[in-house]
Amino acid sequence: MGSGASGHRSAIAPAIRVPRVRFEPIDLGRWAIWSATALLFAVLPLVFHKGFAITLLSQMGVMIVFALAYNMIFGQGGMLSFGHAVYSGLGAFFAIHALNWVGEGRLWLPVSLIPLVGGVFGAVFGVLFGYVTTKKAGTPFAMITLGIGELVFAASLMFPGFFGGEGGVSTNRVVGEPFLGITFGPAIEVYYLIAIWCFASMAAMYAFSHTPLGRISNAVRDNPERAEFIGYSAQHVRFLVIVASAFFCGIAGGLSAINFEIVSAENVSTARSGGVLVAAFIGGAGGPILGAVIFIFFAVALSDYTSAWQFYLGAFFVLMVMYAPGGVASLIAMNLRVMRHGLLGRLAGPYGALALATGVLLAGVIALVEMSYQLTLNFASGSQLRLFGMDVDASSWQAWAIAAALVAAGGLAFEAARRRFARTWDAVQALIEAKSHPGATT
Amino acid sequence: MSEARAGSAPARGASPAAATGDVPALALAGVHKAFGRTEIIRGVDLSIPRGERHAVIGPNGAGKSTLFNLVSGRFRASSGRIELNGQDITADRPYQINRKGLARSFQITNLFPRMSVFENVRCATLWSLGYRYSCWHRLSKLADAAERADDVLQRIGLRHRRDALAGTLTYAEQRALEIGITIAGGAEVILLDEPTAGMSRSESDRAVELIRHVTEGRTLVMVEHDMSVVFGLADRISVLVYGQVLATGTPQQIRANEAVQQAYLGTAVAEADA
Repeated sequence: MGSGASGHRSAIAPAIRVPRVRFEPIDLGRWAIWSATALLFAVLPLVFHKGFAITLLSQMGVMIVFALAYNMIFGQGGMLSFGHAVYSGLGAFFAIHALNWVGEGRLWLPVSLIPLVGGVFGAVFGVLFGYVTTKKAGTPFAMITLGIGELVFAASLMFPGFFGGEGGVSTNRVVGEPFLGITFGPAIEVYYLIAIWCFASMAAMYAFSHTPLGRISNAVRDNPERAEFIGYSAQHVRFLVIVASAFFCGIAGGLSAINFEIVSAENVSTARSGGVLVAAFIGGAGGPILGAVIFIFFAVALSDYTSAWQFYLGAFFVLMVMYAPGGVASLIAMNLRVMRHGLLGRLAGPYGALALATGVLLAGVIALVEMSYQLTLNFASGSQLRLFGMDVDASSWQAWAIAAALVAAGGLAFEAARRRFARTWDAVQALIEAKSHPGATT
Repeated sequence: MSEARAGSAPARGASPAAATGDVPALALAGVHKAFGRTEIIRGVDLSIPRGERHAVIGPNGAGKSTLFNLVSGRFRASSGRIELNGQDITADRPYQINRKGLARSFQITNLFPRMSVFENVRCATLWSLGYRYSCWHRLSKLADAAERADDVLQRIGLRHRRDALAGTLTYAEQRALEIGITIAGGAEVILLDEPTAGMSRSESDRAVELIRHVTEGRTLVMVEHDMSVVFGLADRISVLVYGQVLATGTPQQIRANEAVQQAYLGTAVAEADA
């Protein structure tokens, strides 16, 4: 109860106004962050101006919207959905049909507003499926979303008239009169369209998380039962959050329809749903943007170099779940905390050793994986492959022996480095604790 | 919602009929509750007038917590009728009952652990201030919610822990926050389930002061094991034994009641007096 007695009140009163004053600089900081983000979006394609880089950035923009929308229900609302691609995918189908209608002159709508069509239809299906799924919470909820995902995927192949069957629906985004010379033909124009929608969606979702509904969705995540006793139906809250999330998923779908000019059954698949879950988890609470960037790096950039990219993404995901369940964002936050206390220097050595050991281990694992792929999936092109700039023959026992030796040496070194790192890390954390709570005895 | 000024936390749920004082704040008639073939509540009749502080006591397993769960909508009664300010709430869900003006605390602390102390209390004010499921108000602009939350923090003595995560509070602080969340919505009828459970004597004394203070002008129903708390706080007491009300009356009447003495109180009152 602490100082519950009324006699303590006057002593506390002078402290009341202090926190209010502090809000002003925080607001300024927020403006600075948003301005910096807008600036970053604007100048990124000037720095990375190759065609491939623009494609990569565009896909990252779409994935950021999708991952943030997923995070509204996953990180903020505490709902694990295995079928969220349904909303982005169906939004994408409606968006691409709308785009085709614009092309045929049956509908007047600027291309730049096509993502809104995706958003509206995403929300419509959010109402429909959200009504069904939110009748349950927890594991049953997750199971129902998985079922709905499979159901919609099957339906997309059953109704080729709307979904285009195996081949999907394609379009031409260069339709209507150019506005200020913008046709959305060149990839860079599409990038800026995506960047603007991405920025607006980020701002809107951030704002949503600071409304009564957004905050109550946190409450329902933390303790749905108690939320019911402060006047909120957990089911209604979950439903409304799903509809809002589905709207932004639909916008992501609409953007991808414009970006790729094709939408197929793959867009509503469980694989797509799994992808956004992986991205949101890798990023962690507060970091779905990072997760989206990392995911697209694996899915787009790495897939250009190796057909084993999903193997690497899977391994990375498993390691994150095991060692950093808070995601990349929490790793950064923890290291920033160490840095603020001026103790990052102590970790430099252990970090270096860890990186070196990881490098050796990774080289061995990559060699094993790539040689296996060469001997199985790529066998038609022979047993020769390029690995780390060298020509390697996957059929020679020496290559396998070297790779195995790298894994063994790397594995041993990694374990030693990990233990040393853990010791130093614990010592540093203890130091920080001692600094923060000088009175506490341990 | 502007008339619902912060700080004053006006009692809500009082219907015009109730304002005349004739209608009890809480009325139970013939309430039964069975789990399978086991009857836990076996016909409870209870009428609690507005503004009364009422304690429900009884031995372990008497059905006190079950009774609270029926009144607050966590369980649904097998038969019988429960009225809040004259409105039938027998079949209502917890959130509907809360909106009609009843709030409860829990025996086992039941907070929003990953949110700050301030957010815990502010969330509990939002529905009653009319913000409901709004996604067009900015929380930081809602001066009435912030002021009422700060006022509640002041009253429960957690002002200095405003920004701490609820999950990191000490046990006594969590119990205080539990009460804070319960009163923050301005409900007219407050149910407290063993508010001093697990507390030391001095903590419990402070808790009694706090409860007396924050339930001023409201109707309080509490389940409590600590007899000194019960006899110090309650206007009237109901003794629940084996799912039935054995007796209802003022502390003096209950103390003098022979049936109560025999069934339950003898030892408990002796302990409290000692």
